[in-house]
Amino acid sequence: MSRQTFLRFVAPSTILMLLLMVLPLFTSIWLSFHFITYRNLHDPQWIGLANYREVLTDPAFWESLRFTMLYMVTIVPAQIVLGFIVAMLLDQIEGRIRGVYIAASLLPFIVTPVVGALVFRHLFDPNGPCTYLLKTLFHYKLAMNSTTVRALIILHGIWYTTPWAMIVLFAGLQTLPQEPMEAATVDGANWIQKIWYVVLPHLRSLFVFISLISIMDAYRVFDSIYVLTKQNPLYKADTIMYYNFKMAMSYQDLGKANAIAILTVIGIMIILIPFLISTYRQQMEER
Amino acid sequence: MRTRNPILRVIIHLSLIIWAIYSTFPFFWAFLGSIKKPVDANARVPVIFGFTPTAQNYVELWLNMPPEKFVPIGIGILVTILALIAFAVFTKDSLTGPAKSLIIISVLVVMFALLPQIADMSKFYTYFLNSVIITVCTLLISISIGCLAGYGIARYSGLLGVILLVVALGFRALPRMAFVLPYYYLANIVGLYDTHIMLILALVAVNQPFTVWMLRSFFMEIPREIEEAAMIDGAGRLQSFLRVIVPITWPGIITTSLFTLLLAYNEFLLARVLMQTNLTLPVAIAQFTSGEDAGHITIANAAAISISLPIVFVIIFFQKHLIKGLASGAVKG
Repeated sequence: MSRQTFLRFVAPSTILMLLLMVLPLFTSIWLSFHFITYRNLHDPQWIGLANYREVLTDPAFWESLRFTMLYMVTIVPAQIVLGFIVAMLLDQIEGRIRGVYIAASLLPFIVTPVVGALVFRHLFDPNGPCTYLLKTLFHYKLAMNSTTVRALIILHGIWYTTPWAMIVLFAGLQTLPQEPMEAATVDGANWIQKIWYVVLPHLRSLFVFISLISIMDAYRVFDSIYVLTKQNPLYKADTIMYYNFKMAMSYQDLGKANAIAILTVIGIMIILIPFLISTYRQQMEER
Repeated sequence: MRTRNPILRVIIHLSLIIWAIYSTFPFFWAFLGSIKKPVDANARVPVIFGFTPTAQNYVELWLNMPPEKFVPIGIGILVTILALIAFAVFTKDSLTGPAKSLIIISVLVVMFALLPQIADMSKFYTYFLNSVIITVCTLLISISIGCLAGYGIARYSGLLGVILLVVALGFRALPRMAFVLPYYYLANIVGLYDTHIMLILALVAVNQPFTVWMLRSFFMEIPREIEEAAMIDGAGRLQSFLRVIVPITWPGIITTSLFTLLLAYNEFLLARVLMQTNLTLPVAIAQFTSGEDAGHITIANAAAISISLPIVFVIIFFQKHLIKGLASGAVKG
C-alpha cells in the first residue's frame, strides 16, 4: 500500500484522535498553569507553577497516592494468583458446563462497573447478607468507616478484575504444547513440578502482560470508589483519580485538577515507556 | 493434563461451582432485592426464600402510569420482539448478516423511540434511550473509522504506521481525567456541554486506540493475496476493501463491536462530567448510591438488574466472540 493510500485510510481516525486526544492533552497542560474555576471559565488567570506546588505539598494528594499504591499491590498479585488457579481448574474440564462456569465468572467483569460496585456494596449494607454472616458467625459488627471502606474497595477490586486475568490465562493454557507435558509425565514429574517447570514458563509473557495492564487499570480506578464511598466524607478512601475528580467537581478548582491530571500522566508514562519501547521494537520486526 | 481421578474431579467441579457462586451472588442478591418489598429488603435477618415477590419496583422505575394500562403496549412490544427473533431464525440463508442486523436494529430503534409517544414512561426510560442512542452512534462511528484505520495500518509497512500504533497505545493508557477535564472546558467554550454529540465524539476518541489495535490484528490475519486478486480484477483499494475484505473479516468486526458496545454502554466518568440533564444509565444509577432510605434500595436493585440484563444477554449470545476478544492479547481497556 502506498503512503498516500495509507494516509487516506487512517485520516478520519487520526484527525479525530488529534482533535480529541492530543489537543485536550495540551489544553490540560495549558490549563494547569492557570487559576480557573467554573466562574472564570472564559477568563483563566496565569499563575505559573503555583498549582503544581500546591498539589505536591497537599497531604491529601500523597494520601490518595498511598492508597492507590496499596490498592495496586494487593489487587494485581491477587488477581493473577486467583485467575491462574481458576484457569487451571477450567482447563481440567470440558463440554457445555465449562461454558456455563466461564459465563458466570465473566459477569463481574463485563457488567457496568458502577452497577457491579453497587450490587457488591449491597452485600455489606447494614441489612446485607455478608454483614449478617459476619455478625452471626464471627460476632463481628461491621461498621462502615474509612478503614472498612478501603477493605471493601480492595475486595471489590479483586472480585471485579480476576475474571479478565482468568480468561487470558485460560486462553494461554489452550495453546500449551502437549510434548513437554508428556515428557514430564514420562520423567515422573509430580503435578507441582509440571506446573512449575512446564506451565508457568509457557505463560510467562502473559503474566507480564496481565500485570502491566492491571497496574494501569488499578492506577486509574474510579467508578468503584465513587459508588462504595457513597461520596460520603465519613468513608473517605480517595484514590488518585478520585482525588482528582473531587478537586474538579467538589472544590471546583479546574486549574489544580488539571495539574493533578498532568502529574498522573507523568506517573503512568514512567511505568509505560519501557513497555511502549518494547512494543515499538516488536512491531518494527513484524512489519 | 486432565486428571481422571474421580475424587479430584468432584473437587474441581465443587471449587468451580463455589467460584461461580462467588462471581454471581451479588447479582443474584440484587435480583432478589429487586422483587422484594422494602419491608423484606430491610429485614434484620436477610431473607432468601420466605417473601412474596412483587414487580412494584420495576413498575415504579420504568413507568409513570398505572401498570394495567401498560399491559397491551407491553404485549405489543413482546410480539414485535418475538417476530424479530422469528425473522432472524427463518431468514437464515436468504439474507446476509449485516443486512439482517440492520433491519432488526432499525425496527427496535423505531419501536423504542416511539414508545414514550403512546405510553407515559418515567425519566429512567429517557436515560435508557440516551444510553441506547449514545452507544449505537459511538459504535457506528467508532467501527467505521476504526476499520479504515486498522486496515490501513495492517497493510502499510512504513514507519508511520508503527508510530501511529505505539502512540495510540500510549494514549490508551492515560488516565481519563487528562481528557475529561479539557473536554469539559472545550465543550463549554464551543457550547456542546450536555449534548449527545459531545459525549459520542469523546467516547469514539477515547475508544479509538483500542478499536484500531483490535481491528488491525483481525485484518492482519487476512492474506494479502485476496485483495490483490480483487484489485487485478479492476476494483480500487477502497472498493476491494469494502466488497471483499470487510465481509471476510466480519466475525472480527463483530468481536470488536461487542467491546466498543460494552465500553460505550458502561462508561461512567465521561458521561458523569459531560452531561447534566441528558443522563446515561450508569450515571442515573449512581444517583441511587448516596441514599440510605428503605424504599431506595429496592428501586436501586431494580435499576441495577435492568442495566445488567442487556449485558447478560450479550454474554450468553456472543460468548465465543467475547472470549476470543478478551483473550486476544495486546488490547484491553
